Formats: sequence, C-alpha cells, structure tokens
Amino acid sequence: MQEIRTGRFELTSAHVFLVAFVAACAVAAVLIGSFPLQLSIVTIFLFAGPHNLMEFRYFAARMPLRWGRSRLYYSVAIGGVVVLTVSYLTLYFASGNWLWSLQSWQVFGSVWNTAFILWVGLLFYLRGKQRRRDWSIAFAAAFLLAGLAWIVPQYWSLSLVYLHPFIAMWFLERQIRRTRPDWLRAYHYCLASIPLFLIALWFAVSGQPDLSEETNLFWRIGQHAGSEIFPSISSYLLVATHVFLESIHYFVWLLLIPLIDKRALPWKLSDVPMFANANGIPKVFVAFLVFSVFVTVALWFGFAADYTTTRDIYFAFAIGHVLAEFPFLVKML
Amino acid sequence: MLRKLSLVLMLFTFSAQVFANVAPAKTPKPAKKPASIDTQLSIRLDRDAKEARLLIPRSQLKALRAELESFDDGSADTAASVSIAGISRIQTIVSGVFISLAFVFAGVWFTRSGKFSSTAGKVVAGCVVVFAAGAFATIVYGNAGPPPEARSITGKMFTQGVHDYGVGSGKIKLEISDEETYPKLIVPNQKDETKPADE
Repeated sequence: MQEIRTGRFELTSAHVFLVAFVAACAVAAVLIGSFPLQLSIVTIFLFAGPHNLMEFRYFAARMPLRWGRSRLYYSVAIGGVVVLTVSYLTLYFASGNWLWSLQSWQVFGSVWNTAFILWVGLLFYLRGKQRRRDWSIAFAAAFLLAGLAWIVPQYWSLSLVYLHPFIAMWFLERQIRRTRPDWLRAYHYCLASIPLFLIALWFAVSGQPDLSEETNLFWRIGQHAGSEIFPSISSYLLVATHVFLESIHYFVWLLLIPLIDKRALPWKLSDVPMFANANGIPKVFVAFLVFSVFVTVALWFGFAADYTTTRDIYFAFAIGHVLAEFPFLVKML
Repeated sequence: MLRKLSLVLMLFTFSAQVFANVAPAKTPKPAKKPASIDTQLSIRLDRDAKEARLLIPRSQLKALRAELESFDDGSADTAASVSIAGISRIQTIVSGVFISLAFVFAGVWFTRSGKFSSTAGKVVAGCVVVFAAGAFATIVYGNAGPPPEARSITGKMFTQGVHDYGVGSGKIKLEISDEETYPKLIVPNQKDETKPADE
C-alpha cells in the first residue's frame, strides 16, 4: 500500500526573519546608495552610542562572577583590552607630537597592530586549551597576520574598519546557535544575501564621481572609508559600502541580538549575574550602566554641537568596544 | 703655601692653553640627502601619443610630498626611511621574521597534530607543495618575458645618436594620474609619414 504525502509550506518565524532581514537590507542599500554621506552622518548620530550601550549590556550578561577555570583567559582578555585601549588612545592623541616623525608613528602603529594580533591569537590558544583542543595554529595565523600588518599597515588598518561589522554578524550566528537554532539556516541565507547586496550596490554606484571633500567632515568620512588608500576607487562607492556594513552591524546589536537572546534585553537585569547574584556587585554594575546611558546622551549633545570633533573622539574611544568583542566572541567558539 | 698656589695657578694657565688647542669634537654633519622615494619607471612607446607625457601616480606624489615635508622639518629618520617601493627596511625585516615564525608554528602544529602521518594529510601536504611550486614558477617565468634591455633603465635603451651626444631633451607634459601604480613615461612612436606608401 502506498502512502501519498503532500509537502505543505508552513510559514515559520524563521521565514519571517529571513524576509524581514532581506527587505531591511534592500531598503538600506537603496537609501545608502542614494545618500551615502547623509546616511553616514545620520546613522552614527543615532546609533553609535546606543549600540555601545547594548554591547556593554550583552557582555555584562555573559560575564561570570566566578571565573574558575577561565581565570587566566579573562585575566588576559581584560588586561589586553585595557592595555591596548590605553596605548591606542596614547598613540591617537599624541600623533601630532613634534617628537615623533612620520616613520616613528608608523612603527608605533605597527607595534600596536602586532600586540593586538598576538593578543587575539593568545585568546584563541587559551580557549583551545579550555576545550582540550590544540589551537596552537592560532599563533601561526597570528604571526602571518602580524607580518602582513607590518608590510602593508594601511591595508591592515582599513581591513579592521571593514571587518568590524562582520564581527557583529558572527556574534549573532553564535547566539542563534545557542538560543534559536531553528533560525540558523534562515540566518545563513541572510548572510549569503549580503555579498549580493554589496555587488548590486557597487554596480549601482560604480559610475559615481568622488564624494565632495569640501568640508573637514566629508573628508574624514571618505578617509575613514579608505579613499586615500584606494584613490582610484570612487569614494562614493567606498563610503556607501562602509555605511551599508556599519548599518547592518548597528541593526544586529540594537535589534537582532536582543530579539534572539532575552538576556540581552536592557531592562531585564535579573539575568545579569553581576546584578542579580547574591555575590554580585549590583551597585558597581548600576553605576556603570548609568554612566553608559549618560555617555550615550552626551554623545548626542556632542554630535549636535560639533559633529566632526565628536565623531573623531567617538571613533578614538570606540576601539575599546572593538577590542572587548574579541574575548566574548572567542569564548563562544 | 705660596709655591703650591703658584703651581696650581700655572697648571690652570697652561691647561687652558693646551685645551684651547684641542680640535673641537667632530659632530657628524647630517648629510643632506635629497628627499626621494624608490619606485619603478615604465617607458611605453605609444603610436597614438602626440606628445611625451610623464604620468606620476597620485599616491606616490603624496609619498614624495610627505618625504619632502619630513626632509624640510629635519625629522627624516634615515634608517627607517630607506625604502623600496614604499616599504622601509624595518618593515621588511620585522615582517619577514613574523612570516617565518608563522611557517615554523604552522609546521610544528601540523607535525604535532599527526595530520601528516595519515594518507589524506600527505596528499594535502603534497598538493600544497605542488601549488606553491607552481605559483612560484608562474611568477618566475611570468616575469621572464621582456629582454634584459627592457627590464632596467640603462643606456642600452637609447640609440647611438643619444650616446654620441650623451644627452637628449624635448618637451614633456607632467601629469598626475589616479590610474597608474608606478610612474610611466609615454613616448610618442608614430609611424614615419614621410616614408613612401609603396615601401
């Protein structure tokens, strides 16, 4: 006896997620392709501060009170974030120092890049040891990257600018695996659509002339996207690409991660060990949270008063959150 | 007491004269090396060109400007600024050390992991070696095209007429280019129109 089965399409939340993601990317690509400079200014104004706040909140929820076997890992992680952030800010704000020639500054920059790469390599190695696996290949990869960072430092720095948004997407992927595995396949389709959007965006704006550099702000936006490193590529295309990727990264931190992980909801403090646990440090945590909210509001006022200066200061200090992402990402592997 | 004082006084007097004749310490005078960057020049014979043009890439113009500025400031660090194609000696050395370390660590990891002992590991290692050798050979043979005279800018490029005079000159246009990677000299090479058509 034969049994006839009919496959019926059933609309699931994963389908809704996929369609919403692709639709949001399509709208973003059209808007950013049409007004890259304006969207660069608007997105940073609106989302730069809040997305840092959400990242802090997410990491706070993942930070255990007792480090136990991870003591060495967290010590290296936090020590690395503090030392690298302070040294980066020293280099950044002392770059106009008359004692440092251009070559000295380049060497210091390369030393910082090397320290950063080796720190990430060490984190991978320590994480491998925790999982009882030999991840010492991370050192080989780190040394290779350090070599590249010395030989082409400008490309290395620019690659960090463009890779940073993908770190957020990687976080989301790891989080979906943990809390919404039924969305994983849909999310992989979402990720696969991003190169297609980028190709469409490049195709649409490739004939556009360079963006205006008539103000210091416009020049900084173009320079941040790599217009000086790739002078033969239209700055219009570079800025549009950067803003598109940055917008997805804001979208991930502000909307998708809290949607996937209920512990990342800002007001749900009962799941934060540092706050809710009997051995926690609730006063310190609340003080940090209030300070973060204050900084976010102060950034909005700063952007409104002097956008260019606030943007420069923000991107200098933003290295802290870029660095803080690595230990938590590696820990999720 | 008076004799001792006189002796000390004499000593000071003579020593002043002696030290006055010592040649001043030779402070090395910084050699005024003209600001320069190392690059390559390609010379292209162009049948369609009406005039000679020297194209300077914008990126290299910026590098030259930076070099000039640091030269004017007197802050040029000669040890670090000796560069080939914009890469300083320090960069080359440190980068080489790190890439070597990468190969060493990868090799140690590969051996320790036991992947080399399996058949699949041997096949993968063999493929990597063949691929690397092939890539290296492609680079080597790919660059073996032009004759030696066309691969370096020497006197062999010029005709006997230029050698006889030892100099050649003419009008040229200096242009800044966003497309070129290296400076390029475009030389007009139009067909001789005075030649008879049936020739």
